[in-house]
Amino acid sequence: MADAPALSVQGLTTEFRIGGRWHAAIRAIDFDLEKNETLALVGESGCGKSITALSILGLIPKAAGRIAAGRILFEGNDLAALDEEHMREIRGDRIAMIFQEPMTSLNPVLTIGFQVAEALRYHRGMGQAEARAHALEILEQVKIPSARQRLDDYPHQFSGGMRQRVMIAMALACKPQILLADEPTTALDVTIQAQVLLLLAELKQLYGMSMIFISHNLGVVATIADRVAVMYAGEIVEIAAVNDLFDRPTHPYTEALLRSIPRVDRTSDTLMAIPGQVPSINRMPQGCRYAPRCGFRQKICEQPPELAPVAGSAPTHQARCWVRAGAAS
Amino acid sequence: MTERGPLLEVEGLRKFFSVKRGFPNPKTITVRALDGVSFAVREGEAFGLVGESGCGKSTAGRALMRLIEPDEGAVRFRGADVLALDRAALRTLRRKMQIVFQDPYASLNPKRLVGKALAEPMRVHGLAEGKALAERVRALLDEVGLPPEAAGRYPHEFSGGQRQRIGIARALSVEPELVVADEPVSALDVSIQAQVLLLLRGLQQKRGLSYLFVSHDLGVVRWFCQGVAVMYLGRIVERGPLPQMFDEPLHPYTQTLRAASPVPDPRARVTMARIEGEVPSASAPPPGCHFHPRCPHAMDRCRVEYPAWKELGQGRGVACHLFDR
Repeated sequence: MADAPALSVQGLTTEFRIGGRWHAAIRAIDFDLEKNETLALVGESGCGKSITALSILGLIPKAAGRIAAGRILFEGNDLAALDEEHMREIRGDRIAMIFQEPMTSLNPVLTIGFQVAEALRYHRGMGQAEARAHALEILEQVKIPSARQRLDDYPHQFSGGMRQRVMIAMALACKPQILLADEPTTALDVTIQAQVLLLLAELKQLYGMSMIFISHNLGVVATIADRVAVMYAGEIVEIAAVNDLFDRPTHPYTEALLRSIPRVDRTSDTLMAIPGQVPSINRMPQGCRYAPRCGFRQKICEQPPELAPVAGSAPTHQARCWVRAGAAS
Repeated sequence: MTERGPLLEVEGLRKFFSVKRGFPNPKTITVRALDGVSFAVREGEAFGLVGESGCGKSTAGRALMRLIEPDEGAVRFRGADVLALDRAALRTLRRKMQIVFQDPYASLNPKRLVGKALAEPMRVHGLAEGKALAERVRALLDEVGLPPEAAGRYPHEFSGGQRQRIGIARALSVEPELVVADEPVSALDVSIQAQVLLLLRGLQQKRGLSYLFVSHDLGVVRWFCQGVAVMYLGRIVERGPLPQMFDEPLHPYTQTLRAASPVPDPRARVTMARIEGEVPSASAPPPGCHFHPRCPHAMDRCRVEYPAWKELGQGRGVACHLFDR
């Protein structure tokens, strides 16, 4: 991929104020999102994956949060430094987002036709009729059955899976270059989840989009991602092409996560729990943030490790671990 | 597998709900939440009930404990007819059957100290008093991996996984023989989910507990359970021992569920087959076999006639016309 990346996040640190002090929810996040690529951000609750997406879209609440450092480069602009007026031009147009809860992310008193058309009227200056025609086209693309009849229906008349399709249609209305999908299938049943994942993969091809796919489910990530970044306590602890990551999980956290999933396709007696819990934002360990829960902990882990190449794997495979990657061993 | 008698037998359990829907002229709709469900849990066994939302799996767990009164059917616990018991006898029986709920946030009283919440069932059932009671609370907390100080704290001071441990301790306080676990790990992160699953399995071994394990996650059920029944729109469509049921699913719906369950292996993504259609509403199930509109093998018969239950031997059974002989 010789092209410039679709999005480049460099040293992104987002902080929140708790009890009068600023604490970093994500720290020094670095990644490039290539054109046509699906990058998955995976981790448990509180690891900062959603905060990363909200930071990219400038949706961090100003009252208690701020982007403290770093750049988010998109089409030559630094989104982190952009004012709200310009950000609004990009948001929902060239970068769009799908949220986890299709129930609460749709306006219950507006028809779905209106809600899908809204972005087109705002960003493209289309009139009612033109926007409506476009909205119908997109609703057909996301495979809403008898879309023409359902254009004037309200969200409560749709099932959960169909509402998520409406959300996807809203996000795609302006043909964005980048789609941020935050746990888009978590609230859905598995058969519906499979349908939505397939739809997202097809639409990504059709539109030539790049996608940041946020999930806690490594099974879903293995299904949809080209590349995976594993996050823990606000940092990327491992990043690799999807096959490299699952073949050679290198960071002890990645490995432990994989071992803690009971698999439907094989019998195993070695279900491993990770002892302890994720440290809270205002009580981060000084060195490696995973060290207190890690079985491979050494003296050097009291120093914060950097992302370093994993020996014997592809050069794009990096892990933040003194013991497994980098200089200590 | 050792042959042990059934601890719990459920036969033809039925529960229909009437709901009013629509505005401004509401209509009464009958939701067939349970439409003739039969299964058995053997002593010491963890038996799974799986299915998608609305299939009736949680209603089954509640109806057999009479937390919801079923309309029809039979429930036998150690041979005793549960549905015929009067209030006093039911209360005694509830000591033997306990439930752990999905949401550890909603199922604990926020204003009650954890120690009080654990002591109450023991006091109600007259199991312990005074010093002995406090000692048992401490032992329970220890058994589920919480420090003794936890007794003096409120639920909000605990994380999700810890709260689920409290929920488990509360169920164990009356020394039950059967625990109905209704999606006990669904609200938890994977690493915490594994901790709670290991705890539940440890208790099964140590106390000889039996479980009815209600879940939508086939991976969790495969790991935790010895047998499983798959539900679709209020009926069981397939039943059998694990892991055979998930290695060689017979019913097309079980096959669909299995194929749609994501596996953490990028090379397995080919199994993401196209799956047609949505789960229909339990208030208007399709005629014939409820699964036929989504079934790749649907035949003319399937559209008119609900397939009879067929026992296939070795504990397996299925309701599908493909297996008519």
